This record gives sequence, structure tokens and C-alpha cells, in this order.
Amino acid sequence: MMTALLILHGLFAVALLGAVTHQALAASVPRNERRARSFFSRFRTTDASAYGTPVVVLFVAVMIMGAVLYPRFRLVVRPLLQDLDLRAANGAFELKEHFSALGVLLLPAYWACWKQPLERSYDGARLWLTWIVALTVWWNFIVGQLLVSIRGLAL
Amino acid sequence: MKTHSRLMMFSLTACLAYTLAYYFDWSLFRYYLTSGTIDVAAPATAGPPILWYGWLATAVLAGVTAAIVVPRGFVVRLSPELAWLVPAVALLAALMYEVRWFL
Repeated sequence: MMTALLILHGLFAVALLGAVTHQALAASVPRNERRARSFFSRFRTTDASAYGTPVVVLFVAVMIMGAVLYPRFRLVVRPLLQDLDLRAANGAFELKEHFSALGVLLLPAYWACWKQPLERSYDGARLWLTWIVALTVWWNFIVGQLLVSIRGLAL
Repeated sequence: MKTHSRLMMFSLTACLAYTLAYYFDWSLFRYYLTSGTIDVAAPATAGPPILWYGWLATAVLAGVTAAIVVPRGFVVRLSPELAWLVPAVALLAALMYEVRWFL
């Protein structure tokens, strides 16, 4: 059951990673590049505002699954990291814990910034909040994958 | 706009409150792993607790309270840049707090 939840947690995290990365790049593109024809430019010219609510929903879903898995991590994975003296891996998870919490707590502000019609006074906040959410998602995803690599899927 | 400012106030306060909660150990409750129980106190035989849920609850409570209590006129006067600066500082604070694991 916990292994299935861990896999689902990972799959939702992939969707979240894709959505927030796409949005962050699209939000960063200068207006005069919108008609560029390269693959990368087209990748960035997606409608960034369309990702606001899906990112919030995915983030909360991933967070809830992570919160359910957390006690198993403390009982099964953390003792292993301590036995192997993997201090950096332990610290990376501690940061993942804080980044998840701060990420979910800033979501109301993030969602408000992306709410239509977009307010021009929040252009800067919108862009930076999106990159902050993207940073937390990338960190959490990479650390999660590293820990699965160390311990394996069996929880 | 009314909802907008309340959501901003929630996030700003909750991010600050979470940072203070883990730094000063202001956990609203503790979850005990071995017994699977939630307690506000720290029973001697309960085993190791998880504080993270309690820190989150503290932050949410602070955020909701601020969003309800702080007058909208005050929130509207705040710079929009605070919406990202406060979470950014909170992330940096977490990084500095946990850097001991990497030294």
C-alpha cells in the first residue's frame, strides 16, 4: 500500500514538475520573443496563466501524499541514513520538509497572483513566486528520487 | 481584490510563522511514531515525535488569524514585492538553518 502511494506520489510530482517548469519559463519570456519559431521559444510561449490552478491542485495532492508517507520515512528510511552516516542525505530531506511546507503556505499568494484578470502591479511577484514554487518542486523531486535510490521502493 | 489581499496576508504570515515555529519549536501538537498518537504534551514513554505536522498547523493557524484580523486597508498598502520577498527569505532561512548537515 505504502509502495503504491510512493509511486503515485512520484507520478504526481512529475506532473507538477512539468506544469510549474512550463509556467515559469512561459512567465519569463520577453514579449518580443513570442513569435520566435525555435522549439525552445515555442515551449516558452504557452499561456502561463492556465497553469495556476493545476499547479496548486497538484502541489497540494503531492504534499498530502508526502505527509501520509512521512511517518514511514521516519521509521524505515531515516534510521538507514543515520546508520550509513549519510548526513547530507538527511539534511537534504530536512530541507525538503521545510520547502514543502513553505511551498504549500505560499500557494494562496501564488494563486492570487495568477487569478484572472492579472493585475499589473503583481507582475514581479507573480514571476518570482512562480520561480520559488518551481525551485521548491525541483529540490523536493530530486531529493525524493535520491532517497528512493538509496532505500529502494519498499516502505 | 478583497480575497486577493486576504490570501496574500495568509501566505506572508504563515511563511513567517512556520520559520519561527521550527526555529523556536512552536509545535501546536506532536505526532508520536511508535504509538501513532497525537499529543500536545511530551509523554516520557511516547518515543520520538514528528514535529513537522505541528509546525505546519501553527503556521496555518497564524496565517488564518492574520488573514481575518488584519484590516484590509493595511494589507493593500503593503508592497506587492513582499509577496515573494518574504517566502524567499523564509527559504533562505531554512537553508541556513539546515546547512549544518552539509558541513
